[in-house]
Amino acid sequence: MEQKIYLFGLNHKTAQIEIREKFALTGFNPIHDGLMDRDGKVGEALVLSTCNRVEILCVSGLNLDQIAPIVLKKWAEFCRQDPDLLKKHVYTYEGLEAVNHLFTVAASLDSMVLGEPQILGQLKDAYRKAVEKKTAGVIINRLLHKSFSAAKRIRTETAVSSSAVSISYAAVELAKKIFGELQNQRAMLIGAGEMAELAALHLLNSGLKDIMVANRTLERAQELANRYKGQAMCMEKMLENLHRADIVISSTGAATTIIRASQVKEVLKKRKHQPMFFIDIAVPRDIDPNVNQLDNVYLYDIDDLKEVVEENLANRREEADKAGEIIREEVTKFSDWLKSLDLSPTIVDLLNRGELIARKELKKTMRVLGPEVDETSRKAMEQLALSIVGKLYHEPIVFLKRRSREEGSSQRFIDLTRRIFNLDQEHIPENAHQSRKKGIEK
Amino acid sequence: MLSFRLLDFFIAILYFTGALSFLIGLIYSSKKTQDRSVIITATGFGLHSLDLVLKYTLGIGEILTQSQFYISLLAWSFLLIYFFLWWRLKLKFLSITAAPMALLIFTGSLAISPSTLPIPGILQGLWFGLHIGSLFISMALLALAFGAGVTYIYLDRKIKSKTRLSNVSKDMPSLHSFDRANHLAVILGFPLYTVGVLSGFIWAAFTWKTIFTWDPKEVITVIIWLIFAWLFHKRISGAWKGKKPAQMIILIFILTLTSFIGINFFTETHHSLRP
Repeated sequence: MEQKIYLFGLNHKTAQIEIREKFALTGFNPIHDGLMDRDGKVGEALVLSTCNRVEILCVSGLNLDQIAPIVLKKWAEFCRQDPDLLKKHVYTYEGLEAVNHLFTVAASLDSMVLGEPQILGQLKDAYRKAVEKKTAGVIINRLLHKSFSAAKRIRTETAVSSSAVSISYAAVELAKKIFGELQNQRAMLIGAGEMAELAALHLLNSGLKDIMVANRTLERAQELANRYKGQAMCMEKMLENLHRADIVISSTGAATTIIRASQVKEVLKKRKHQPMFFIDIAVPRDIDPNVNQLDNVYLYDIDDLKEVVEENLANRREEADKAGEIIREEVTKFSDWLKSLDLSPTIVDLLNRGELIARKELKKTMRVLGPEVDETSRKAMEQLALSIVGKLYHEPIVFLKRRSREEGSSQRFIDLTRRIFNLDQEHIPENAHQSRKKGIEK
Repeated sequence: MLSFRLLDFFIAILYFTGALSFLIGLIYSSKKTQDRSVIITATGFGLHSLDLVLKYTLGIGEILTQSQFYISLLAWSFLLIYFFLWWRLKLKFLSITAAPMALLIFTGSLAISPSTLPIPGILQGLWFGLHIGSLFISMALLALAFGAGVTYIYLDRKIKSKTRLSNVSKDMPSLHSFDRANHLAVILGFPLYTVGVLSGFIWAAFTWKTIFTWDPKEVITVIIWLIFAWLFHKRISGAWKGKKPAQMIILIFILTLTSFIGINFFTETHHSLRP
């Protein structure tokens, strides 16, 4: 029975968050929750449930029309929701389309933020669960491994996940372009807003040495400084400490500029012209834009950072095309493997059957000849019988291999071969033939 | 002699492949290709060292009067400094100037037919060696600082103008590393340059019994030395960092290169390397 890959899913493009919430499959177990029951209609299954997507990947011998209602029913049952509502939002992929979709998801090309890295980890978790619950078989194992390696290839060969796409990460990246590793750098937060804190946190995670916090109210400054083992000061002390800061993140609610270019010039002399990086995320701006004209000083305001992020996103979209190319390549490779999967058991069956016949006939002959036959002659006869069978089956096998490489319809020839040589006489139940006949009639 | 030709040719091929593969690695931002280029260049450098040692030991006495040997030595010192900087600053990026420079100068040395330089006197060997050695090494430092300077100015402009930053390769080192390369080149390069110039004058005093002959090379060297001294002072005092020293080192290197090519090859002076 031919096994096909199916994928059913909801994501941020096809369903609102309210819908995705309703149909989340956290904790869904394909075996306990009835998707994979004993009759083996669904041979393998994997469930991915994140906040942006819910997907069921399964392998089954059934047709799409047969399997879709089963999967959707079990899904809706688990969530105690209406299957018709699910049907409206769900997308369905079959065969190589499903493979293609899975690879796209793994490479984060289908994510809300293109190229974000979390999805790969989530997919790995989902796969681990499938392995633990023993719902992953030959095809899902291979498919998931291939999707991980395709994602890795895309990560290294394209810039889809490179440059930063959030404002605070963009700031960190710029700081690294200026200072290199940040382990000798000190940052100063002017004003203790949430966004400034976030940027500071990212900087600290990237190895920043030290942090200073200047704020209108000393208590708040102290609170922040304590959290990150920094130094707190009131706003009046800010200017006299400014020369100690390499990175300045300003986010006060002041109505006018609080740092002027002439002041920065003085500060620069004090710090022997070591470079400085000003990040002004306040609106209205805290720092005189002319600061950017000074040598060794770089000033980015919130709009500049947004622009960097926009540009990086555009760059990622460009890279996504390249990534699509890689995915197509990997899908082709996977489909080649799938094809050989169908072919090789047939070849093995064919050779086994041949050997069985040869040994049976050899046994008969030996019985007729009696015990006088010596070991050398017996060996020679065995050799003869086996090689005749081997030669006989050689051409059909070569034919099958060629066909399965050349065209997509190898299934037909494999099926034909199995019938001609009666390979499935004992293995295939009566009703399987029935369903196949029906399939042809359709 | 033929085997040397073959060896030289092989070294040139290695330098060429090294320079080319680094460029390719940079364009396609492939770390593997870049690493390979460093290995190729290093192999070339190893063979080059062997080549120089063999030529020196086999042809002792007369080899020192061949211009080819000096130019080859210059190419070699470029790579020596490059590997040194790589070790100290992890600035593999400078390969972008080091390998092509070495290639250019080395093949240049091959193109020159072996001619002999008039080097009178024997006792003055020490001063002459000091003169050539220190000047070549400081020139190599200058060349690398030139590469670092050009990239610094490019990157600085990119960050300041806030445009198309995504085009800047992720592997490109930070402004800080380029500035450190500049710092090192000035701190080491200027004293070496001074030693080179002084030993030249001392050697001249021994050989020609006069210190300053108004030879164009001497004039331009003194000018370069003055600019270099100014830069050295500003750098040491901490008054200059980043862009200004980068610009200055570019100027100094261009002057040095012009004086090296223009004067040593195209004018009739006693610095001439012309056949």
